[in-house]
Amino acid sequence: MNAEYTIILLRLAGLICVGLAVANFVVAPRLGYARSLAGAEKLVRQIFYVHCGYIVMLISGLAILCLGWPHLFLEGGMSKVVSGFFTVFWASRVVVQLTYYDSEYRRRERFWDVFFLMVFFTLTLVFGAVFLFER
Amino acid sequence: MREVLNYGLLFAGLGLLVLTVASFWIPRILGWKEKLADLSPLMRELFWTYAAYILASHLFFAILSLGFRDWLLSASPAAAAMSGFICFWWSVRVYLQFFGFDLAEVKDTRFNRLAKHLLTLLFLYLMTFFAIMVWWNLGGGG
Repeated sequence: MNAEYTIILLRLAGLICVGLAVANFVVAPRLGYARSLAGAEKLVRQIFYVHCGYIVMLISGLAILCLGWPHLFLEGGMSKVVSGFFTVFWASRVVVQLTYYDSEYRRRERFWDVFFLMVFFTLTLVFGAVFLFER
Repeated sequence: MREVLNYGLLFAGLGLLVLTVASFWIPRILGWKEKLADLSPLMRELFWTYAAYILASHLFFAILSLGFRDWLLSASPAAAAMSGFICFWWSVRVYLQFFGFDLAEVKDTRFNRLAKHLLTLLFLYLMTFFAIMVWWNLGGGG
């Protein structure tokens, strides 16, 4: 794959990841995290928020890498290992959404369901292409 | 120095692998299934999904540390960036271990105390070791 196109695709993926990282902060009040977790034990609440934080950290790290240093994906080792991991990461996110998440809730929020499926699918395609076609 | 770091990476990778396998017992020890029963289905699904992705990230770090040691020791910007990210990841975890989590709800058994101390040692090791890896990859080895 042409290196210029790869960098454009990775920058696009980086912008999408910025959007996803920001979306996490919008989703929290929309899904009522605080209200839903109010009755749970303190440690359960802490673990949930810590996991959310780590997911945002991971996506933000990927965004920074894609936007700031996309050429690092073109160097042999980095390209294969990281793009391979994120291909599986985003592909599994598509599968989780389709097969695991509450179908009733997905039906109620059909627009966002389809929107995020397309986002995750696009990221799968970008990192899959980098994994398959870069040296 | 490179030889020492190579063994250090091997040890980090093995530690991460043990952490990944041991993580399968954490939900049982902390009783997640019962404690999450009152949450809405979507919140329960989010909880398990996020936990699975964190587990996958630890496995990824283990695979990197065990299978791609030459690359992680290549003194390249990419290796420095990856080491820096892993160092930051474990620095946050060390902070949470000491100042974040309220473990008062965890049963105070000898096994749980031992597990907590071993985890703390592992997190401290990973944070320190990957900080050294950042230094190495930025040319600190000369």
